[in-house]
Amino acid sequence: MWRRIFVVFLKEVVDNSRDRRSLLVALIYPLLGPVILGLLISAVVDVVSADQARDLRLAVGNADRAPALVRFLEQRGVSVAPAPPDPEAAVRDGKLEIVVVIPDDYADRFRAERTAEVAVVVNTSRLSGLIALNHAAALLSDYNREVWGARIASRGVDVQVLRPLDIKSVDVAAGTHIAEILLFMVPPLFIFNLFMGGVYLAIDTTSGERERGSLEPLLINPVERWALMLGKYLAALLFTAAAVVVQLLAFKVAFQTAGGGTLAFAQVLTVPAIAGVFAMTLPLMMMAVGVQFIIATVTRSFKEAQTYLGLLPLVPAIPGMVLVFAPVQATAWMMTIPAFSQTLLLGAFVRGEALPIAAVALSMASSLVAALILIVVSARLYEREKLIFGG
Amino acid sequence: MIRVEGLRKSFPPVTALDGVAFEACDGEVTGLIGPNGAGKTTALRILYTVMTPDSGTAAIDGYDIVKCRRDVQQRIGVLPDARGLYPRLTAREHVRYYGRLHGLGGAELEHRIDALIDTLGIGEFADRRAKGFSKGQMRKVAMARALVHEPHNLLLDEPTNGLDVGSTHAVHRLIDGWRRQGRCVLFCSHIMQEVAAVADRIVVMAMGRIVAQGTVAELLARAGTDDLERMFLALTGRAESW
Repeated sequence: MWRRIFVVFLKEVVDNSRDRRSLLVALIYPLLGPVILGLLISAVVDVVSADQARDLRLAVGNADRAPALVRFLEQRGVSVAPAPPDPEAAVRDGKLEIVVVIPDDYADRFRAERTAEVAVVVNTSRLSGLIALNHAAALLSDYNREVWGARIASRGVDVQVLRPLDIKSVDVAAGTHIAEILLFMVPPLFIFNLFMGGVYLAIDTTSGERERGSLEPLLINPVERWALMLGKYLAALLFTAAAVVVQLLAFKVAFQTAGGGTLAFAQVLTVPAIAGVFAMTLPLMMMAVGVQFIIATVTRSFKEAQTYLGLLPLVPAIPGMVLVFAPVQATAWMMTIPAFSQTLLLGAFVRGEALPIAAVALSMASSLVAALILIVVSARLYEREKLIFGG
Repeated sequence: MIRVEGLRKSFPPVTALDGVAFEACDGEVTGLIGPNGAGKTTALRILYTVMTPDSGTAAIDGYDIVKCRRDVQQRIGVLPDARGLYPRLTAREHVRYYGRLHGLGGAELEHRIDALIDTLGIGEFADRRAKGFSKGQMRKVAMARALVHEPHNLLLDEPTNGLDVGSTHAVHRLIDGWRRQGRCVLFCSHIMQEVAAVADRIVVMAMGRIVAQGTVAELLARAGTDDLERMFLALTGRAESW
């Protein structure tokens, strides 16, 4: 019987490797995530490093009204430039990142030791704007503190009395690079791709086979139906595995290229590590193809199957998307949930943490059990008389 | 040799087969005829093992179609109701796939494929992909893959449906050839003239039952007419209406 299963497997692989759509989904789609993420990281690295490399240029409107402030800024290495006539338009159009505007009554209020206003015009929807604001705000607050300290001291009060807290942040992230946050997009992209890679084969070899009218003659051959199903299943699994490998290699290339290969993750993503991730997620691939087969078998037409299976990859990818913004601490029970456990493990892998063997084993075992159940259910569905009609 | 006894099958609320019994002998062509919805395709589907009967039995060369499904499948060559091809496989690959599913392989299989390509006149398009084949070409490939294991019994569901005159004649010649080789041929059709021209014995079905069987001459005598279509209408109890 294994020979017949191999005959079916081989036919489906040959048949689908001649299909542009199957190849596109298995070999080209997986590149999209790594390419987009690579470009994003390159862009972020450019912005951040460019900002760190040069000193802040600050356009200050009405600088002559605040000579002390300008002097302070210049002492801190800021080159002060005159502001354009319409600062808001200049910032909105992206001509300038940030403009500080000194109002008309500044000098009077400052001299009278009243609170004087300083306007900062910035576009925080741009990352570079946000960085500039952070920088400018720090400088202005330093100046604020200096002036205020001087005024308090002249009245005979110790400044420290009025400063109960001195906030210093210590960043404990393994890589302190801002671009590393983007790496958390890797798990959801990976899961999405895993559930997408074999989708076209699952549809083509089941709903498609039925719709072409080639299923009925196929079933008349002296081969058990479960064996036909298994041959097709293995072909879809091969395409899924191909999609996963292509994506992992693309991630490797993307991260080694993007941002000049400065990311710590690029060093982690070695060929043995890729092989490890592949092995760790193989049970999930088996499960994904099982789900695809069940849906493709019970739906009545190619289009119906395509509709459901087009949405399917989003479902397991959503928890990963949420985790990008709200990470959770992995616990044992989470390792029993297929797709979610792999998302968490990949998240840890991306952060450069060691993966506990027990967690990996639990994740693989639970997904494998789910996959085997789904395979048995698919085989049962193939035994039904209704198979040739669908539904 | 095909033997059918008391076959019943229903798809609630429809009763497709209501106690069907007939025989198709070796070296003979048996034509199963009946109006649309008479149950011909259901009867054939049960015989070629993609459906199981609710009750009754059928055997092919003595092998029960339910209990000995694999043995039956090895002894039948089928042109089913659905006879689609794989658009991305060549004609030759279609035949090779079915040959391998029957456990054939190597030089023996390639030899058989060449012979079938020759007999059925597939040579010209044998190595072209099926996408864009004409109906006649598709039918030839569907026939070739059904014959690769040299089955003794042939079950054909409307084998000439949709074919032009030339291709129809080619199919008739093929059927005649199998008869002379001593094979058992069962085919169904709703065209009286075709059945009368090709079949040795005719089984007439209507409403899931066998209403008459015999040679053309016997059936004409029974209906008391010498016109095939009138006989068909008389036997199936159908008026000339939809």
